[in-house]
Amino acid sequence: MAHADEAAIFNKDEAKVNWHDKALWFVRQKRDKSAHNVQGWETLRDLASAIKANVLSNLDDYLIQFEENAKKNGVTVHWAADAEEHNKIVHSILQKTNVKKVVKSKSMLTEECHLNPYLEANGIEVVDTDLGERIVQLAEEPPSHIVLPAIHKTKEEVDVLFQEHLGTKPSNGDPQYLTNEARKHLRDKFLKADAAITGVNFAVAETGGFVVCTNEGNADMGAHLAKVHIACMGMEKLIPQEKHLGVFLRLLARSATGQPITTYSSHFNKPAKGTEMHIVIVDNGRTEQLSREDFRASLHCIRCGACMNTCPIYRRSGGHSYKATIPGPIGSILSPGKDLTKHSSLPFASTLCGSCSDVCPVKINIHEQLYKWRQIITKDVPQPVVKKTTLKMAGRVLASSKMYGIAGKSARFMLKHMPKFIIYSKLNAWGKARDLPEVKNSNFDEWYKNRQKK
Amino acid sequence: MKVGLFIPCYINQLYPQVGIATLELLEKLGVEVDYPMGQTCCGQPLGNSGYEQDSKGICQLFVENFKAYDYIVGPSGSCVYHVKKHFDILEQTDDVKRVRKNIYELCQFIHDVLGRTDVGASFPHKVGIHKSCHGLRGLRLGSCSERMDAHYSTEEDLLNNVKGLELKTLNRPDECCGFGGTFSVFEEAISVKMGKDRIQDHIDSDVEVITGADHSCLMHLEGLVNRNKQPLKVMHIAEILNSSI
Amino acid sequence: MSRESILKAVKQNKPTSLPLPEIDLNVFAEDKDLVKTFIGNVEFVGGRAVELDDIKNLDIEIKKLYPNASKIVSCTKASGLGSISISESTDPHGLEAIDLAIIHGELAVAENGAVWIAENDVTLRVLPFITNDLVLIVNKKDIHLHMHSAFEAISKRDRTFGVFISGPSKTADIEQCLVIGAQGAVSLTVIIL
Repeated sequence: MAHADEAAIFNKDEAKVNWHDKALWFVRQKRDKSAHNVQGWETLRDLASAIKANVLSNLDDYLIQFEENAKKNGVTVHWAADAEEHNKIVHSILQKTNVKKVVKSKSMLTEECHLNPYLEANGIEVVDTDLGERIVQLAEEPPSHIVLPAIHKTKEEVDVLFQEHLGTKPSNGDPQYLTNEARKHLRDKFLKADAAITGVNFAVAETGGFVVCTNEGNADMGAHLAKVHIACMGMEKLIPQEKHLGVFLRLLARSATGQPITTYSSHFNKPAKGTEMHIVIVDNGRTEQLSREDFRASLHCIRCGACMNTCPIYRRSGGHSYKATIPGPIGSILSPGKDLTKHSSLPFASTLCGSCSDVCPVKINIHEQLYKWRQIITKDVPQPVVKKTTLKMAGRVLASSKMYGIAGKSARFMLKHMPKFIIYSKLNAWGKARDLPEVKNSNFDEWYKNRQKK
Repeated sequence: MKVGLFIPCYINQLYPQVGIATLELLEKLGVEVDYPMGQTCCGQPLGNSGYEQDSKGICQLFVENFKAYDYIVGPSGSCVYHVKKHFDILEQTDDVKRVRKNIYELCQFIHDVLGRTDVGASFPHKVGIHKSCHGLRGLRLGSCSERMDAHYSTEEDLLNNVKGLELKTLNRPDECCGFGGTFSVFEEAISVKMGKDRIQDHIDSDVEVITGADHSCLMHLEGLVNRNKQPLKVMHIAEILNSSI
Repeated sequence: MSRESILKAVKQNKPTSLPLPEIDLNVFAEDKDLVKTFIGNVEFVGGRAVELDDIKNLDIEIKKLYPNASKIVSCTKASGLGSISISESTDPHGLEAIDLAIIHGELAVAENGAVWIAENDVTLRVLPFITNDLVLIVNKKDIHLHMHSAFEAISKRDRTFGVFISGPSKTADIEQCLVIGAQGAVSLTVIIL
């Protein structure tokens, strides 16, 4: 189903749309306030963007440097060309170390690779330990937002879900109680886990280290208790030097939630004594995106979710309407690169208002890329006949002053004289909820001509 | 100074009063304005829908119509932005480059080129500005809420100098109205919801007249206001700036 | 393994080299009261900040704040409240029942209320996360204006593991309601000496 259809369904419950819109707008406001507190915010964005551009233009060198340093630190580095290889690598590490129970902190990459079902099919228990991720895991749903995975769920829904799966008492959706119960439940999982999987927010070429950011402390609870830590990273997560973390850590949380920094910014360099640390570097379409000049800047993304919070369409259609691992504006420029036909409606799920590009901490020109994807999609993916013919015809009519003069007059004549029931028919999406403009007796051309005669 | 008046197609056909106000206003300000007949459209509806390549003829015609002027001025930020931003599909001849460089949105022209903020208008009403996205984030007619730059606004500067006009502050100063060209029909549900929410913000902020520098957004908002019989008037900023008691 | 093919594809697809920008710290220079800014931010992120004039009063202060804590790990000589001693060979799982950990942070950051802790400061990496409550001690002179300055200060360290901690663990994953106390420590007090 196209985004528009999904969005129309979401909009049947206007109260929920209003709640979703306000909740995310509140996050956007917190972000604004937080960014206002930083002197030189726009300079930080410029720096972050330029650093990422430098990374992409030297990515192979940085990857080699990172690998070399990580190895020196006693970390095992793996390379995966695609999701399948990634899953196989993770599974083989777990097999070798005889792991049956895994705790996992938030990682959009493992969502992208569908790691959980793969490991579960191989008899391994995987528990998502970020509260929001755990909620959607129990509900057997994908996350609807990359920072707030369960933003689409009401507290009452979480209450029922926890009663069913964690044996909690009915609490009318008391967030404090439900969070406490989740804490107990997850503590037990942390203590029993044999391995921890985390994502990577930033990997530093110069040191071979990586940084994982959480608010809940779940990545650290997992990684420091288990014997094996596997960190899965998209290859674009690299930054050249540790001092560049200063730039990115100042931007990330402020953009994401309005916090000045996440509660925990954990810097992993060497495994603790008696434990193993693995890093899986994943391509899965990234090198292909790197080859597309118009779209490679999408790889700057640091997954803050600010473009979702600011997007007036995302806020009113919900993350699931995008039917993609990464929803919202950034997802709409990443997903078509992976499967153009499947995601062909996403670049059109935008008014091109540009708010996403201005909020983006690494200055990805998201709305310009949406425009560019549209040009590709109309060429490479079959379009609805009506849309295609109308626009192609418009192209010819509007290129000719004479044809335009006739068409303009007849369109105005029709609007003025056609019976209302025809104008506001089912075929007219404009007229479902909006009136058409009242047609005046003459157009500007005619008025001007008359004026010149006088 | 020779100014070519650019009246976007939908204004020409559906809102001639906006074109008239624009022309009268410019003339009041002492500008010599010429309206080249035979102009059609900037090509934006095609470009934004993914049919940029089919709009080349339109863009070329636009350049032909306007290449002789020192300035090109139009009452629509969105169309002006399209010429500036997306006429890169044409071969960049001197004519094309000149047209892209010399085109101005009406408020921007008055404010930046003529250097005027007081146009001598009078309009004793409570007004809310709809800051259309392409004008705001494309042409940078003002600072937007996402960026941490110092606040400025071309439209506010002009409206604050209109006698009797009371400018109202909105809760969300620059959220998109949901028009978005063909988005308004292909994503009808969201488009309508966005428009409704924008209007509610103006009503909550005690606004009597919604105005803006882009009539396509205003057409969308007006369509909703009229359908829902809401106590609001929708007017293009040129109509307000051209008003006197 | 796909290492070679990935690197080859990257080499082929990457754009011409773009320069790495210099960070001009003058842009971020601010004349701010570092202690005051730091305290404001610790409180903003849900923590508690206490300024202490005399290190001798440290234990009295901690006892006042956490009167019921009995299983206490102290990683600093400044506090004698430790009731459980740990070493590198302690099984980290055994720390599950710890009430309170007292740790001396190496530096702090005014702009975000964060305290930097390295592996050496905690003996076991999991300690500041698994403990129920957490007390971090920092010296006034170790408070930095911003992250750039903090990274400069830790650039010479022996890199094993380290963490910036800003406030107690928290989540807003249920209907955006902020709940303090998620998977990590449920409270954080920063004592400034």
